Amino acid sequence: MSFFHIALTNLLRRRLRTALTLGGVALGIAAFVALVGFSRSFEEGWLKIYESSGTDLAVVQKTFLNTSVDEGVGEKLRSIPAVADAEPMAVNLMDLTPEVNALVYGWPENSFEMDTLTLLEGRRFHDDQPEVMLGEGLAESLAKKAGQSMDIQGSIFQVVGVFKGGSALEYGAAIMPLRQLQKLADLGGKVTAFHVRLRKAPGGKIDESQIQQARAAIEAALPGLKAVPGVQRAHNNQLVTMARSMAWGTSLIALFIGALGIANTMAMSVFERTKEIGVLRALGWKRSRVMRLILMEAAVLGLVGGCLGVAAGWLGLRILAGIPATASFVTSSIPVAHCLEAVGIAVGVGLLAGFLPAHRGARLSPVEALRYE
Amino acid sequence: MNDCRLEAKGVTKHYDGGSIQALRGVDMAVHAGEFVAIMGPSGSGKSTLLHLFGGLDHPTSGEVLFCGRNMAKSFDLDAYRSQRVGFVFQAFYLLPTLRALENVQVPMFETTLSLRERQDKAAELLREVGLEHRFQQYPNQLSAGERQRTAIARSLANDPEILLADEPTGNLDSENSVKIMEMLEEIQARRNMLLVVITHESAIAERAERTIYMRDGRITPA
Repeated sequence: MSFFHIALTNLLRRRLRTALTLGGVALGIAAFVALVGFSRSFEEGWLKIYESSGTDLAVVQKTFLNTSVDEGVGEKLRSIPAVADAEPMAVNLMDLTPEVNALVYGWPENSFEMDTLTLLEGRRFHDDQPEVMLGEGLAESLAKKAGQSMDIQGSIFQVVGVFKGGSALEYGAAIMPLRQLQKLADLGGKVTAFHVRLRKAPGGKIDESQIQQARAAIEAALPGLKAVPGVQRAHNNQLVTMARSMAWGTSLIALFIGALGIANTMAMSVFERTKEIGVLRALGWKRSRVMRLILMEAAVLGLVGGCLGVAAGWLGLRILAGIPATASFVTSSIPVAHCLEAVGIAVGVGLLAGFLPAHRGARLSPVEALRYE
Repeated sequence: MNDCRLEAKGVTKHYDGGSIQALRGVDMAVHAGEFVAIMGPSGSGKSTLLHLFGGLDHPTSGEVLFCGRNMAKSFDLDAYRSQRVGFVFQAFYLLPTLRALENVQVPMFETTLSLRERQDKAAELLREVGLEHRFQQYPNQLSAGERQRTAIARSLANDPEILLADEPTGNLDSENSVKIMEMLEEIQARRNMLLVVITHESAIAERAERTIYMRDGRITPA
């Protein structure tokens, strides 16, 4: 008989209570896996967009996450010697149908970002025309092909192409001429940001010092704006920040409830087993062994709850990935590292929640515990 | 063979800030290999004295000595209970979630025995108490006599020198009481253990080499 066997049989003694506790932990971990996993894949999507397009800097408003930049600063930007190219872009989240919403980008026809897309069918749009290109995932959700038309916010747009992008976010996105998006979103000469490619040094690479110099030059030339490296922008744009805050906030609340469940179960278990703990101490078990036993029980609750939670979170993501309203933002694959992190958090929560009951159990006087009725 | 003995010197034990005086100056000794019975009415301090001999508690004043050394000062009481003392309780106190074979292994976790060695030793002990056919039973599947025999096997898990039994026949019928006492005597003699049995029954006390009587926390004449 192993030490683990004793812990396991203690947990199986009150099967319903153990099952309910596992349910609480699993719920917390499922929320963590689904929500934090979603926010991270969202973040990675943005990162891939910046990386694949070769955007070195994003020029945005200095103080607002939801930035609005005057389109006219483009000329000034391009006149800065370090800047090779600067393209305006706008992005908005839109309801394309009552069931389907998607990120809609507005780019100029000749934006360098267009080069990262692979056209699966049709062609690129022309500036100023009511034309739109759809990511392959969105085209599938909307059942649209190149050559068909669609209604966007009361205007008829021609679907001119279906593309494959470098990021999961582009998979479910639409791209239209910048002017059209400005008109639809009533942006009137404003854009979300300028994406900047820097002039490469003779070696063909751009090092950190070049980026810092270019940032300083841009910010000096354009007061009120800031130049943010693509990676930083990917992690700190408004949509990502909101998604991350909501995901962590909700997950922490759920994890806290799960931790309370374990703490309650372990406290009740120690209370019910007072006499047994006295017997173990009378038989020579050290305080540390009693503590290890109770902590092991709490950790097992965390481990099993964590594994169930990962499975439930994955199932949740799969369901969300199948619903048109959320399919554009959700991928059902969860990185192994994220699963391990979730299980690790669950075990950590278990140990933390089990600590006080374990401490109490270990501190029991053997004589008083044996007398306990 | 050793000449270690258990000794109480002027031992008092108070509870609740002195309002309960369980022991009021007890002096006694039990020698290695000796079988002593302690008799007395409820509340006379028998169990308290047994707990002090077993290293479960400290005296309020006086000394409990083992092998001439003050137990509170010279022994790690956890190790003392684990290696030198075996307890047998009136209510058996077997862990309900573990089988007989597993219950006997519980004290062995504080030793360096491997899982296989623990299992083999537990089996051997259960055979010694005549339960070779009941290894896989849970306590609630055993009769009262079988439970006490399992508890006796458990008390021998780490080959202790001292066996302390608190009313070991208190929950048994007369037939099983006799069997359990015969078993304890046989084990005590074969292993040359120091055996202290607390009992209300004079028939059981008569089996001991010596009987000590207690009343109101003191040792009294018979």
